Amino acid sequence: MPILRCFLLFLLLYPATVSAFDLAELIRKVEQQYNGDSSEIELEMTIKTGHWERQLKMESWSLGRERFLVRILAPAKEKGVATLKVDREVWNYLPKVDRVIRIPPSMMGGAWMGSHITNDDLVKANHIDEDYDFTLLEEDERRWVIEGIPKPEAAVIWGKIIYRLQKEPLVPIEVEYFDEEDVLVRRIVFDDVQAVSGRTIPLRMQVLPVEKPEEKTIMHYRKVKFDIDLQEEYFSLGRLKGRR
Amino acid sequence: MLWQLALRNIWRNRRRTLLTLSAMVISSALLILCLGVFSGMLKDMLASATEQYFGHLVISAKGYQDDRDMFANFPADLDLPALRHPQVTGYSPRLRSFGLLSFANNSAPVELLGIRPQHEQQVTSLQDHLQSGRYLREEERNGAVIGAGLAKRLAVQPGDELVFVTQAADGSIGNDLLQVSGIFSTGDQGHDNSLVLVPLGWLQQLLVLPGKLHEISLRVEQPRQAAILAGQLTGGMPPELEVLDWGQMLPEMKEVVASYDVSRMIIVTILYIATGLGILNTFFMSVLERTREFGVLMAVGMRPGQIRLMVLLETLAMGLISLIFGVGLGVLLSLYMAFVGIDLSGSLTPITYAGGTILPRLHAVLETANILVPAVVLLLVCLLAGFLPANRAARMQPVVAIREE
Amino acid sequence: MPLIELKSVSKIYPLGNQQVVAVEDLSLQIEAGEFTVLAGPSGSGKTTLLNMIGCLDRPSNGEVWLDAEEVGQADSKTLSQIRLNKIGFIFQSFNLVPVLTAAENAEFTMMLMGIGKKQRRQRIVDLFAQLGLQGLEDRKPNDLSGGQQQRVAIARAMAAEPAVVLADEPTASLDTQTSEELLALMKELNREQGTTFIFSSHDPLVISHAQRVVSLRDGRLESDR
Repeated sequence: MPILRCFLLFLLLYPATVSAFDLAELIRKVEQQYNGDSSEIELEMTIKTGHWERQLKMESWSLGRERFLVRILAPAKEKGVATLKVDREVWNYLPKVDRVIRIPPSMMGGAWMGSHITNDDLVKANHIDEDYDFTLLEEDERRWVIEGIPKPEAAVIWGKIIYRLQKEPLVPIEVEYFDEEDVLVRRIVFDDVQAVSGRTIPLRMQVLPVEKPEEKTIMHYRKVKFDIDLQEEYFSLGRLKGRR
Repeated sequence: MLWQLALRNIWRNRRRTLLTLSAMVISSALLILCLGVFSGMLKDMLASATEQYFGHLVISAKGYQDDRDMFANFPADLDLPALRHPQVTGYSPRLRSFGLLSFANNSAPVELLGIRPQHEQQVTSLQDHLQSGRYLREEERNGAVIGAGLAKRLAVQPGDELVFVTQAADGSIGNDLLQVSGIFSTGDQGHDNSLVLVPLGWLQQLLVLPGKLHEISLRVEQPRQAAILAGQLTGGMPPELEVLDWGQMLPEMKEVVASYDVSRMIIVTILYIATGLGILNTFFMSVLERTREFGVLMAVGMRPGQIRLMVLLETLAMGLISLIFGVGLGVLLSLYMAFVGIDLSGSLTPITYAGGTILPRLHAVLETANILVPAVVLLLVCLLAGFLPANRAARMQPVVAIREE
Repeated sequence: MPLIELKSVSKIYPLGNQQVVAVEDLSLQIEAGEFTVLAGPSGSGKTTLLNMIGCLDRPSNGEVWLDAEEVGQADSKTLSQIRLNKIGFIFQSFNLVPVLTAAENAEFTMMLMGIGKKQRRQRIVDLFAQLGLQGLEDRKPNDLSGGQQQRVAIARAMAAEPAVVLADEPTASLDTQTSEELLALMKELNREQGTTFIFSSHDPLVISHAQRVVSLRDGRLESDR
């Protein structure tokens, strides 16, 4: 879509001229920042709770917004545990018992890999620009504050999302998630902004549940490659099990 | 003398008296039966909630039962005097986990209860509700007894291998295989659709909680008195543990039990208003028919108070007679329903309500209150229904009454 | 002092919105031991008068003295006590209690008075002997003839030894021969036990037996002889 590309370029070049009409596009861009058309990323996930703290190393692949695969590399106990998302379905692979488990809709709100990210985040987050209506709350020279309210028919778990975006370069600073009673439930804070593989993105994101201040999940991107050669067939149950 | 007169008076119109008496006998007998069946349902409900899952009392870390936090556990080797209390007839140490159970392409969220088979059978009765397969055995490593609804949803039968995934206490992804030993069906949708019994040791290992428990469930001699016993046992508990009775774990059930007494009075009232009106009618007629006689009795010196008392004694006599036969018949019917009962499972499915399950059967239990309340109220109704005619008789003017034909 | 004294007694009944005068300004004295008939046609006020003497009804005006006591305005509880202790009633239609036996009917007032069983039994034996009712003690009223029933009624009226026995048309339901026998009995009782009898009747037979005949007409005293 060359016209869209031009439009995006236009957005990036003239961020100050953004209007309500473009807000959804802006959010789409932010939500897709780690995906690109395709991506291959190595990351570390640190999960801290009141009872334990652990670090997972993993690698992930994505294609468009509907295909995503992540596999744990370390620690040894979980090595090979993998999650595959295709469209709105999620599967887990457990090497210890050599079984693939489909996550039923009722478990979408459950924690993904014991982190503060839910299965639902994996499946639906990439559709936020479609499921929400956006309004510009604040704007100054350096940043926008945008509020997203679910469209009436949208089946989503958040009651409200507030984005704080940096204009130049366009990166998120912080996203706040509210429940249906308009109570702040969790925050995601972004930092370590760097230019990698032709883009400028924050390499670190921290998920902070508001109710448990001592807990958090930190995702730190170590190796990032965008626009690599991946086919849809790559995202198969066979690949989930680690077979070529 | 008044008694004698009253007794003879009620037999004056034999047919009418017998009709009224039979109405009273039948209504009180049916009432006793009805309350007995009602109590039976309540007992089934309470039993399904306690004897199929909770137990009558539960020892757990303070606050555990509110959110079932995995980390609110305690060591299995604590020495708890409560377990040796004479009223405690059995106990079962348990560990609980929530997670995803999967077979082939089907997965379902489940509640796993890690148990020791011999102990669990002292407290709950799932072993009596097996639909297929068998209960867990002591030596079994990874057997699972699962609810019928869950088995259907996962499309499994005894012998099939299941995967269970959850988050262990160290944050790791706990996952392991289970083998279906048996499938239970209690009629309680909640349990049948999500409960799985597994060996305690297996679950302790999976959750990385070696030697730890979430609760010890107790069976006691008198379930209705569980709250009192809970209070007594609390004293001997380590400070971090608490004893909860079923009423605290199932507040709705407690309310159902409490509202039962109210419902009982409502049923008694409704049925007896009808009976009472019948008695009232009979006695009004019998008093009006005897107007002249009352006039004569007053003329020869009987006081109005004695007239009133005589009529009241007549109703009381009717009450006592119907009471004896009504209670007798009611107890006989209740005994029949207690020992034989009526099975309705052909046309009804179990109903789960307030955490308990009402089974599709009519089955009575005999409780003193269920006999006493109808009996006492029957007498009260008789006296009440007799009061108006008695007053009317007492207020008659002898001169007018004697002239009456 | 007379046993019974009526002083200017009137009785007015409301009937619809009319006032019916049953007895008007009537004065009468009856001594103990009299055998008196209140005679007169129907509606002459004899039953009303009898009811007032018998403490079944209160006069609208005037005083009723019974055994040196003004009873005209006493409350119903007091009246029932007076009826029990001092008055015996005999009714035209006998009015025995059908569920009680002849003996029980006769001893009923004594029971109400709280008289002991032994004493009651003795009195019944005596009375039944005197009234020719032996052997009928355990019969129910429905198994007795009219004359027998009325004799049981006399026994009931007499049992508690009242000061006065009031009989309202006692023979109206009986044949002549039975009436004759009954009157003879009552006369005998009057003579032997000194009980005062007051009848209301328009039966010439009764009137012929009376010691004193008080004739009434339209609620007023017509003659007294």
